[in-house]
Amino acid sequence: MNTSVKKSWTAFQRSPLADVSLFLCIVAGLTWLTAHGTSQLGYNWQWYRVPQYLFSLEDSRIIAGPLLKGLMVTFRITAVSLVLCFAFGLLTALMRLSDSFLAKALARAYVELIRNTPLLVQLLFIYFVLGPILDIGRFTAAVLALSLFEGAYASEIFRAGIVSIHHGQWEAAYSLGLKTFDMYRYIILPQAIRRILPPLTGQAVSLIKDSALVSTIAVYDLTMRGQEIIAETYLAFEIWFAVAAIYLVVTVTLSVVVNIMESRFKVAA
Amino acid sequence: MKATVENPIILVDRISKTFANGVEALRDFSIRVLRREVLVVIGPSGSGKSTFLRCLNGLEEIDRGSIVIDGIPLDDDKKNRLEIRKEVGMVFQSFNLFPHLTVLDNVNLAQVLVRKKRKKAATEASMELLRKVGIPEKARTFPNHLSGGQQQRVAIARALAMKPKVMLFDEATSALDPEMIGEVLDVMKTLAREGMTMVVVTHEMGFAREVSDRVVFMEDGRIIEEGTAEQIFTNPKQERTRDFVSQIL
Repeated sequence: MNTSVKKSWTAFQRSPLADVSLFLCIVAGLTWLTAHGTSQLGYNWQWYRVPQYLFSLEDSRIIAGPLLKGLMVTFRITAVSLVLCFAFGLLTALMRLSDSFLAKALARAYVELIRNTPLLVQLLFIYFVLGPILDIGRFTAAVLALSLFEGAYASEIFRAGIVSIHHGQWEAAYSLGLKTFDMYRYIILPQAIRRILPPLTGQAVSLIKDSALVSTIAVYDLTMRGQEIIAETYLAFEIWFAVAAIYLVVTVTLSVVVNIMESRFKVAA
Repeated sequence: MKATVENPIILVDRISKTFANGVEALRDFSIRVLRREVLVVIGPSGSGKSTFLRCLNGLEEIDRGSIVIDGIPLDDDKKNRLEIRKEVGMVFQSFNLFPHLTVLDNVNLAQVLVRKKRKKAATEASMELLRKVGIPEKARTFPNHLSGGQQQRVAIARALAMKPKVMLFDEATSALDPEMIGEVLDVMKTLAREGMTMVVVTHEMGFAREVSDRVVFMEDGRIIEEGTAEQIFTNPKQERTRDFVSQIL
């Protein structure tokens, strides 16, 4: 009797059910701690005041509240930046892998410069220094800073993916007489991209999170809107929780969607 | 007839190659290969036979000497190099099929991109070649679903699709399980009998005996001895040739 109880307990300990239960216990514990801690401060949680900043109903039409409006701006910035980031990244990777000394040097300089300075500083530099010189507005400055920054990291990911392709693939393509562009387009990149989809997704998630920094140059994204609401209502706790939750939902959805895409297009590499 | 025999398709003149790690792979190596000739290259590992083969289509750069293929010099001129790559087909020990493309697409790709054929014409030619190597039914499958012997046959078809003047085989059967070596060798023998110029690096002595015109024994980046298969295997003149042949026969 004792051994069978012991066996069931061991089985339970190893099961996913045990993991989830443990996780929920920890989350419940942390939540209680937060609630208890804030009530000691005498803080009065006013969650009921948050939804109006998400959306409001007027004549049975849904009107986006400031938080959702901010989210739309965040989406616009990240969408454009993502495309540019991958473009810069791929171009830079190809330049680093080319035979041209100039291309290699330029690419290297770009990556080293970007990776050794903070994004915030780059953003402020582009807006306050390059902005007046090139006559670009804050949205363009924001997109430029984000895509250049994430592009440098993306280029290392692309490079790693390309280099990981077995050199026999290059040799076979070479022996068939393919020119370099065709080699990349039809043989190397299709295989490389499939391999680097996970880190590239991570890069996209980074970009979404880093986009919060554009609030420092007064772009009315999600973070900026959050600050705006708190300035009026002092609902710092509730609003920041809500803003963080929105970012979380966006990035997790992105990751899930990419994972589904990956398994649909799975071909043995 | 005499004009063809005296007109070598491959002219290798005193080529040398040293790798970055200091290994001298080829030393003053010279050879001529005639049209329609089947040349088999044997030798111990490290003798430079693969390096020699890879120099022929430009996969490896030579340090000294010259290579001329079908009248085209293998030099710095990009156009010359491209021409040579198109005229010389290569089959690798590790097949190197493109895993993300079907068998048919593998064979079609270079025809469409390099020979500028239309997809329909390419597909017809590809199916013809797949029939020739014995696996037309596998056209729509992916390489990772095929056996090693089947993959290598697809690789041969893919190289043949470019209608090359010379075919290079770099230990084409060395990575295959014994029961699949035969099917690949059969394809190679058919090619030889049809008059393709072939340079074959191999350990398969039976193949050499059956279809080769000449066998060359290499060691330390040099040709030690050359002759017909009969001469090399039964009556080698050099001691080093004798040592090697006795080990593998």
